[in-house]
Amino acid sequence: MSTTEATPAPPARGTGDVVAATDLTKVYGEGESEVRALDGVTISFPHGQLAAVMGPSGSGKSTLMHILAGLDQPTSGSVIVDGTELAGLNDQKLTLLRREKIGFVFQFFNLLPMLTARENIELPMRIAGASPDPAWQDTLIDAIGLGDRLSHRPSELSGGQQQRVAVARALLSQPAVVFGDEPTGNLDSRTGAEVLQLLRRAVDEFGQTVIMVTHDASAASIADRVVFLRDGKVVRDSGRMSASEILDTIKTLE
Amino acid sequence: MLRLVLRGLATRKLRSALTAIAILLGVTMISGTFVLTDQIDRAFVQIFEQGNAQIDVVVKDRPPFEDQQTEVYLDADVVDRVRDVEGVALAEPFLQVQGYLVANGEQLVSQGGAPNFVFSSLPQAMNPYTPVAGRLPEASGEVAVAKEIAEQGGLEVGQAAQLATQAGARDVTVVGILQFGDGTTSLGGSTSVIAPLADVQAWWSLDGKASYIYAKAADGVSEDELAGRVRTALDDPGLIVQTAAEDSAEQASELNALIGRLIRFALLGFAGVAVLVGAFIIFNTFSITVAQRTREFAMLRTIGASRRQILGTVVGEAFVIALAATLVGLVCGLGFAWGLNRVFELVGFGLPATGLRMPWQTVVVCLVVGIGVTVLAAIGPALRATRIAPVSALRDGAAPPRGRLARLTPVIAVLIGVLGGAALAAGLTQDIATEQRLATLAAGAIAIFIAVAILSRYIVRPVVHAAAPPITAVAGGVGRIAAENTGRNPARTAVTAAALMIGIGLVVFVTIFVGGLRESFTGAIDDSLESELIVTAQGFGSPLPAEVLPAVRAVEGVAVASPVGGTPAQIGPGTFALIGVDPADIDQVYSFDWEQGDDALIAQLGADGAVVEANVASDLGVGVGDSIDVVSITGATATFEVRGLYADEQFLNGVTITQEALGPLLQSNATGINTLFVKEAEGADSAAVQAAVEAALEPFPTAQVQSNAEIKEQIESGVNQLLVIFYALLALSVIISLFGIVNTLVLSIFERTREIGMLRAVGTTRRQLRRMIRWESVITSIIGGVLGVLIGILFGWVTAQGLEAEGIVFILPVGTLLLFLALSIVAGVVAAILPARRAAKLDVLEALQYE
Ligand SMILES: Nc1ncnc2c1ncn2[C@@H]1O[C@H](COP(=O)(O)OP(=O)(O)O)[C@@H](O)[C@H]1O
Ligand SMILES: [Mg+2]
Repeated sequence: MSTTEATPAPPARGTGDVVAATDLTKVYGEGESEVRALDGVTISFPHGQLAAVMGPSGSGKSTLMHILAGLDQPTSGSVIVDGTELAGLNDQKLTLLRREKIGFVFQFFNLLPMLTARENIELPMRIAGASPDPAWQDTLIDAIGLGDRLSHRPSELSGGQQQRVAVARALLSQPAVVFGDEPTGNLDSRTGAEVLQLLRRAVDEFGQTVIMVTHDASAASIADRVVFLRDGKVVRDSGRMSASEILDTIKTLE
Repeated sequence: MLRLVLRGLATRKLRSALTAIAILLGVTMISGTFVLTDQIDRAFVQIFEQGNAQIDVVVKDRPPFEDQQTEVYLDADVVDRVRDVEGVALAEPFLQVQGYLVANGEQLVSQGGAPNFVFSSLPQAMNPYTPVAGRLPEASGEVAVAKEIAEQGGLEVGQAAQLATQAGARDVTVVGILQFGDGTTSLGGSTSVIAPLADVQAWWSLDGKASYIYAKAADGVSEDELAGRVRTALDDPGLIVQTAAEDSAEQASELNALIGRLIRFALLGFAGVAVLVGAFIIFNTFSITVAQRTREFAMLRTIGASRRQILGTVVGEAFVIALAATLVGLVCGLGFAWGLNRVFELVGFGLPATGLRMPWQTVVVCLVVGIGVTVLAAIGPALRATRIAPVSALRDGAAPPRGRLARLTPVIAVLIGVLGGAALAAGLTQDIATEQRLATLAAGAIAIFIAVAILSRYIVRPVVHAAAPPITAVAGGVGRIAAENTGRNPARTAVTAAALMIGIGLVVFVTIFVGGLRESFTGAIDDSLESELIVTAQGFGSPLPAEVLPAVRAVEGVAVASPVGGTPAQIGPGTFALIGVDPADIDQVYSFDWEQGDDALIAQLGADGAVVEANVASDLGVGVGDSIDVVSITGATATFEVRGLYADEQFLNGVTITQEALGPLLQSNATGINTLFVKEAEGADSAAVQAAVEAALEPFPTAQVQSNAEIKEQIESGVNQLLVIFYALLALSVIISLFGIVNTLVLSIFERTREIGMLRAVGTTRRQLRRMIRWESVITSIIGGVLGVLIGILFGWVTAQGLEAEGIVFILPVGTLLLFLALSIVAGVVAAILPARRAAKLDVLEALQYE
């Protein structure tokens, strides 16, 4: 991929659905103690979108995300990520799929404590034995605005800085989709906003696709699309919403 | 609190089990050693008690000084005076020598160095042997054999055989097959043949001699009473009169001192190593668990647990693990002893057996050592646990505070190392008793091990950083992570590696030391001998028949056959070898390494000249021109003038005089020829000469002919056998240290569960994860291996320096050392199997959500 210095190239991806799930159910336990964490979820996410998944605690947000990301298997239903059907993939194939097509930002413990910020960013690519595109890497590093702290270890970085490093790490391999499970859940609102801004830029400027779970209405308000879950079902799927609209919706759901 | 302890152990099953194994194996070795040596002890006692069961009083010669290697004899006619003592029902002279039967062309000798006895026959009333077939020998030329030999050689009553005697082979007829005592006691592989006294006396040049006079008391006379009466009647300070009980106890303890003590000493040494390695592992495990349980302890503190109670939980856990492991180890010790018995049997050195028993002292020792070492090793980590502040409960990733002495750690470690070095130096150079010397050396070695273990934490990070690029090149990105993980907690890695270091270090040391020992023997053959063949007598310290000398000299192709013989002698305060050489031709077969003097001296030694080995001379404090007074084992005395000094720890390690001067100092059965050095004629065919010499010696079955190369081979194989035994015993320590690596890995994987989940989520395959763990293990084991090799070389070098006077040289077996390094890598790979599997099995989601 050739790039000029100033303009980062959006990755060359199709415009169809990056992630498509059909009739997903996930049942935990049996009989009396049976929990339907997901109950017939059909949803797809097109390329180049920032989507927020919301819902009360226990509504199945994490479960959905884990299944979409190939970290967990549904009880029934199918998931297609960037053209690949996940059902029937063995652990090895799933791992390689995650490695190549999926980026992750978790709420906690994204980074290896003994590696520097830069090394953490490069980690998945190093594991894959690939070398990152230097221009893209520079762009990302520029975007997270860590400056001279790149050679610091996570313990020497603030929570917001750590999460921005995690975002850069998720983006470095230019995955088909980045999943975030409450990526700002552990941050105060200002540092949280910086991280969200970074995700927003990833979509707008770098043409990435991001799906994040969040509890926070203002976080969800920057998303192109807000999906509400309740009791394992999609109860509302809307385009961009303002924070107050989102809060209202949440109230009606509870 | 006890409930908490037990609950804690139950929830940390794998950890507890791995810790327990470290203790268990050490205890197993200790308990096995005691069981085994107890078995040997009791067997010896039983052998001699059964041997003396039929008699009451023993009379023996009192040599002018103690020398356990030399049999002494008294005049057989002392028996007449014993018979005259009132209360003696029966008295007989008894003679014991070394020899064996040759039947159907097979030498019926013991395996693995146990003695081959020939005993003079006693009347049945006094004889511990009873016929199971045939009868006891009566007439000249009759023998009876122990049933073990009969089985070995397929002998039957009435069979013709030959008896290998000091005077050559003698035709005999087997008239009986015998059992010893009640037939249940194994004699530890030794063989016994019984022949009439007159034959034994004649064939071993012991006319009129006896080893003992045995007496049996008349009814109503006690052993003690009879011994007193015999002592009074004989009234001879040159004779010892003992009750049969005293005699058997003394013989058992002498033999035990020779064999049982040696085995016990060696085995306990290795057990000590195992325990030391175990202590390292226990210390490490408890350090890690305490760190991991910081929040738990802090929480206990917030809800009101006192420091003492926290200490109690950790130490209590150690105690419970140790108790369980020790009890199991005790039982395993029985199995270990059983296994050792089989091993000794396999290498042809059957131990005398009486069945295994667990003496109560063993239980006490093992409990003390097992529990003591564990609790001691756990006390440091436990104290750290008590210093955890209650507030840590609220913080994530809190670690116990460093101790107050933490800053001083390197200083203390260096101090320990220096003290250890000083102890090593002292142990090697100071003139102290062997036991003290070994204890000093052991303490020094342990101190150095501990110092290195502590200090090596400072090299872990540099090593890991240096190793990261090559490992990354080989293993990819996970290699890098593995390297970083290893460097994450240097103290932990260092102690884990140190446990392996001890095992490898001792393996390397033993290899170097034994190699030096071998070199000192084989080197001496090359350096000192001008001859090509050596004739020696089979049987420990037995002389060759005098007829051997002319027989060999007459062989065509033999240029020189020079006899060397000797006797122990008391010179000054010590016992040294008095060696007789033939001044006419010794210089043609042996080259003296003169420190003072030259070959010309030998021809002029005469009846009162001596040349002395340099170390012996310095022990005696004599130099050229001084005179030395000697007392031989027969009590004969002589004075020699020191004419020259030479160096040789192998062949002529003592005071060398002429054969002629030696003669009057020898016992009647000694010929003065223990060894013949044979030099071939110029241009002779070596193989042909050896064959001719062997043929010429056919009538003397005890004489064995070996070329220098064969002797070297024999030394080599003996040394290798020794090495195999050492390796096998040290292997246990290495295995224990592997458990240490497993333990550390398992614990750290446990700690890093979420991290591992993250790695898997971002695309690390199971295989890569296994590879990562494997590299962590291998890096640790390489650190341990390299440190071990270095420390082993150091110990080997120091020892070689200290024992230079003994002829020990220092050689670096580079190939072998590389092999050990390779083995330590293999060890790392093996140790990683279970932890890697566990890590790879982790479910990604569960790992990510792990609390
Ligand atoms: N491993 C599991 N075992 C049993 N029940 C689970 C498990 N994971 C999630 N659940 C249940 O599934 C439901 C959805 O959980 P989750 O997806 O974590 O919800 P959210 O992320 O929206 O809070 C909850 O009722 C939760 O208790
Ligand atoms: Mg959740």
